[in-house]
Amino acid sequence: MRSLLLKRLPSGLLVLLLASFLVFLILRLIPGDPATTLAGPDAGPQAVAAIRSRLGLDEPLLTQYLRWLGDLLTGDLGPSYSIGGQVSELIGDGIGATVQLTAAALLLVVLLALPLGVLGATAERRTVAAAVRAFTTAVLAVPPFVTGVLLVLLFAVTLGLLPAGGHESLLDAPDLALQYLLLPAVCLALPSAAVLARYLGDGIQRALAEDYVRTATAVGVSRRRIVWRHALPNALPSAVTVLGLQIGHLVAGAVLVERIFAWPGLGQLVEQGVLRRDYPVVQAVLLLVVAGYVAVQLLTDLVYAWLDPRIRWE
Amino acid sequence: MTASPPRRTVLRVTDLTVTFDGATDGTSAVDGVGFELAAGDTLGLVGESGSGKSTTALALLHMLPAGGRITAGTVELAGQDLATLPESALRAVRGRRIAMVFQDPMSSLNPVLTIGRQLDEALRAHGTRPDKRERAARAVELLDLVGIPDAADRLRDHPHQFSGGQRQHVMIALALANDAEVLVADEPTTALDPTVQRQILRLLTRINRETGTALVVISHDLGVIAQTCRRLLVMRDGRVVESGGTADVLAEPRHPYTKQLLAAVPRLEAPSEAAANSVPGPEPLLTVTGLRKTYGSRRRAVTALDGVDLVLHPGETLGLVGESGSGKSTLARALVQAHAPSGGGIRFRGEEFGHGGERAARREVQLVFQDPYSSLNPRMTVGRIIAEPLIAHRLGDRPARARRVAELLEQVGLDPDSADRYPRAFSGGQRQRIGIARALAPEPSVLICDEPVSALDVSVQAQVLDLLARLQRELGLALLFIAHDLAVVRQVSHRIAVMHRGRIVETGPADRVVTAPEHPYTAELLAAVPRLDARPAALSTRSTA
Amino acid sequence: MTALTAPAPARSARAAVRNRHLAGLLTARGLTGLALVGTIALAGLLAPLLTGHDPDAQGPLALAGPSAEHPLGTDDLGRDLLSRVLHGITTDLALTFGAVPVGALTGCSLALLAATHRWADTAVQRAFDLVLAFPGLILALAVTAVLGPGRWPVFIVIALAEIPLFGRQLRSGILVQREREYALAARVGGASRARVLLRHVLPNAVDPLVVQTAVALSVGVFIEGAMSFLGLGVRPPEPTLGSILSQSVGYLATHPTFAAAPLAVTTALVLGFTLIAEALNRGIRR
Repeated sequence: MRSLLLKRLPSGLLVLLLASFLVFLILRLIPGDPATTLAGPDAGPQAVAAIRSRLGLDEPLLTQYLRWLGDLLTGDLGPSYSIGGQVSELIGDGIGATVQLTAAALLLVVLLALPLGVLGATAERRTVAAAVRAFTTAVLAVPPFVTGVLLVLLFAVTLGLLPAGGHESLLDAPDLALQYLLLPAVCLALPSAAVLARYLGDGIQRALAEDYVRTATAVGVSRRRIVWRHALPNALPSAVTVLGLQIGHLVAGAVLVERIFAWPGLGQLVEQGVLRRDYPVVQAVLLLVVAGYVAVQLLTDLVYAWLDPRIRWE
Repeated sequence: MTASPPRRTVLRVTDLTVTFDGATDGTSAVDGVGFELAAGDTLGLVGESGSGKSTTALALLHMLPAGGRITAGTVELAGQDLATLPESALRAVRGRRIAMVFQDPMSSLNPVLTIGRQLDEALRAHGTRPDKRERAARAVELLDLVGIPDAADRLRDHPHQFSGGQRQHVMIALALANDAEVLVADEPTTALDPTVQRQILRLLTRINRETGTALVVISHDLGVIAQTCRRLLVMRDGRVVESGGTADVLAEPRHPYTKQLLAAVPRLEAPSEAAANSVPGPEPLLTVTGLRKTYGSRRRAVTALDGVDLVLHPGETLGLVGESGSGKSTLARALVQAHAPSGGGIRFRGEEFGHGGERAARREVQLVFQDPYSSLNPRMTVGRIIAEPLIAHRLGDRPARARRVAELLEQVGLDPDSADRYPRAFSGGQRQRIGIARALAPEPSVLICDEPVSALDVSVQAQVLDLLARLQRELGLALLFIAHDLAVVRQVSHRIAVMHRGRIVETGPADRVVTAPEHPYTAELLAAVPRLDARPAALSTRSTA
Repeated sequence: MTALTAPAPARSARAAVRNRHLAGLLTARGLTGLALVGTIALAGLLAPLLTGHDPDAQGPLALAGPSAEHPLGTDDLGRDLLSRVLHGITTDLALTFGAVPVGALTGCSLALLAATHRWADTAVQRAFDLVLAFPGLILALAVTAVLGPGRWPVFIVIALAEIPLFGRQLRSGILVQREREYALAARVGGASRARVLLRHVLPNAVDPLVVQTAVALSVGVFIEGAMSFLGLGVRPPEPTLGSILSQSVGYLATHPTFAAAPLAVTTALVLGFTLIAEALNRGIRR
């Protein structure tokens, strides 16, 4: 396991380094002079010059990059341009809400996909399998921002069961916070749950056709036990890989969902950042997401190896 | 056997018929098969692929693949008809009353569960052992019984940590877990080396003798049946064509198919027929000296070839025998330059590889593969497959190539019109002919045959061997014939080389190597060959306890 | 050596392979998918014939329900919805059918490059990892942060997102097929490495890519919609399915007819692609 970590860590760090360079380049790739763009149309030459010197735009690109990276690593993200406040504070304000949302969605993904996948693969009655399939197809065919709006319409506007949007601290009012969390989390989780359920179902079906299932049947193991204890463990490793990719989609989807449900997280922040050309904010959030994603991929590899002994012993 | 009392019948199969959905011609995969099995009895089911022998075995426990149904007949186990039993009741029979061992030990064990877990699953399946520690103790006992060393320590290992032969031992332990009355072994040794095969067959025989478990062995190999079973059924196209005591059937086959089958089985006792084909030339054509090949990183290097010396003369057949992992295939691939050796040299027509020899060899040394399925590109027509080497070596224009393809197809006994069809339209034997035609295309002088007949039924095997002999006669080819079946190798070879752990341990005239082996390993290999005249150990009336 | 000629002429395998895709498509699932996509695409192409309204012309009637003049009603600026939806289809399909092939071809070329050398393989893999490290909308945000919103950013995002998906699929297909014995047979027969890769291995590795294409097209429609929803997509007033839909979302409670048409069309389009992908997948597996 440790050797695997040592093998995968360098490539993960390499990707992170390359990604950070790309993110750094964002500011340098904007058409026109970044300092002028950043200062805005109303700024005087003094302001432009100030920005230029602060960004070190007159230095070589690599020096600029290294300085930027150094600042990032020491936690100095600088002030935001147009949103106001320090970037690190803005991120600190949003990150809790986003982590809460994606973690809740991740939990829902697993809780939904596991039974759906098993049911879809093993249902004795064709109608049950077909129903599972129809559900996953429908979830995948409707754009998530539409699903979100429909959920709001149904549960908030029509039934009045849950709030339409907003956020409440989990510490101050846990029950209220959960009410606010439920709709956005479900909306975020549904597409990924459908994808995972399909992979899991396919994997279980493939495992059920293997010779070792025939062996288990021949020694008299019950069907239910074969599905859960013999076939599922074989389908899990590749499902974990898919789940790892889906975590990326959850974070990306959070941008949409936060907008729909007025959820004050990083998604809202970065969307504002892009629309208001607040580059330090955009860069910081993008890099944070990429770093998180690379870490998740690494974790996925380790879990895969833990689940599949053939990898573990290599 | 005069003293043995009349034994109780445990399994009576009557008129068993299995059909598959969508069988267009209305034929049954198993058609009216019947037999009786007494307690402690041994019965062999022998037949070629498609004879329905494996389907019969699966039908006993209602474990037919999708689309298969028992359409007639009964499977009576102690008076109870399994054919009409519901799934839930069948589960109580599987493993508990009738247990099965399957062919491929690589895929028949669950790769992500430990051996201990899998044995535990089998032991708990019938609810007879509620105590977990008791089950663990029994698991160790079972592994001990089948001869896995350090059984207690190996419970936590996964299947991939066992060798192929050991996995089959574990499979047998799984089958024995609940003291079933009947043990059905479906091709239990087909994927295994002869020495491992001998261990497994001895184990099955010992279990039969010591525990009184009735044994049904299914095999395409008459030798395997002869070694393990007192009685046998010969199957063809889903029907039993002949049955009786093994010794009687083998000595005096009555049905023409049985006779044909027996005639096609290569006998180790039969002398080499190679001299009738050609007389090897004096000058060596291909010389291998001190060839080495190591794989993997420097720290964990695996030595596949450890200084191989070999000489092949024009028109000669050199048989190369050895077990899996001995380096046979690595050697074959080095000769056709599929990889670069780590040391030593190969000379072709006196010229060293790397100094001009390799260029001529690239065209003149060709390879025939073991697996006639995976070695033909499914997306190409047979004509294209055979023409590919011609295109690669820039031999002839398009019409010339088409003529050559037709000629080659005829040469290997196929209809020249087959050129337009795709490999999937052909049977295994026909595909092997296509593979041979491809190898012949650039007019080679050396044909490396890597287990060319081991994936084929015996009757087809005999035809392909005939073809190779004829080609050698007509074209004066030198053959390096790689195989694990010593009887086949003796039949076709002028000389035999025995390979063990990356080295050639013995080389000599074919008949001499078989009749008077000089190296102990050769003797061990020879002893492991299942012979048709061998009396099943279970039959022996010796009453040693 | 009698009876050695092949049995009754079997269907040629190429026909069989084509038929495997075809057989998959000619199921209820596949035909439904084709019908959905076909109808929508045709409606988009025939937009000028089906409606006389300029999609961008504002009228006095805002948020009107269906009428003879406006079969689907009007949007919040009084523009004819039918015309906007039909023209939106054209924009969406042009974007996805343009961007997906670009991404697919780039990804496949990189996968072939990766097959040439161990180092190339490592480099290409890291490149795929790099793109994947910006999942979905995050990639969209990064691209629009540089280029600003518009049609080309949407195109670039769709193409970029598909590169690693196609590339990884083909790469793993090549790795599997290259180990098959027929590839070694071709090599032993004297074929060059390039010939083995392109003529022998590649044709056997492309099957899953057909399925991937159908999936990618639906992803393209999603990306366009999501980018429009966030205001990062094709600039107004040009209609796209996503922009009409995101406009209508604000009026869902009060004027549900506004959202009905773009929602139905988007869903039908994605559903159509999904069904086609599933049908092809089943055809291949058979």
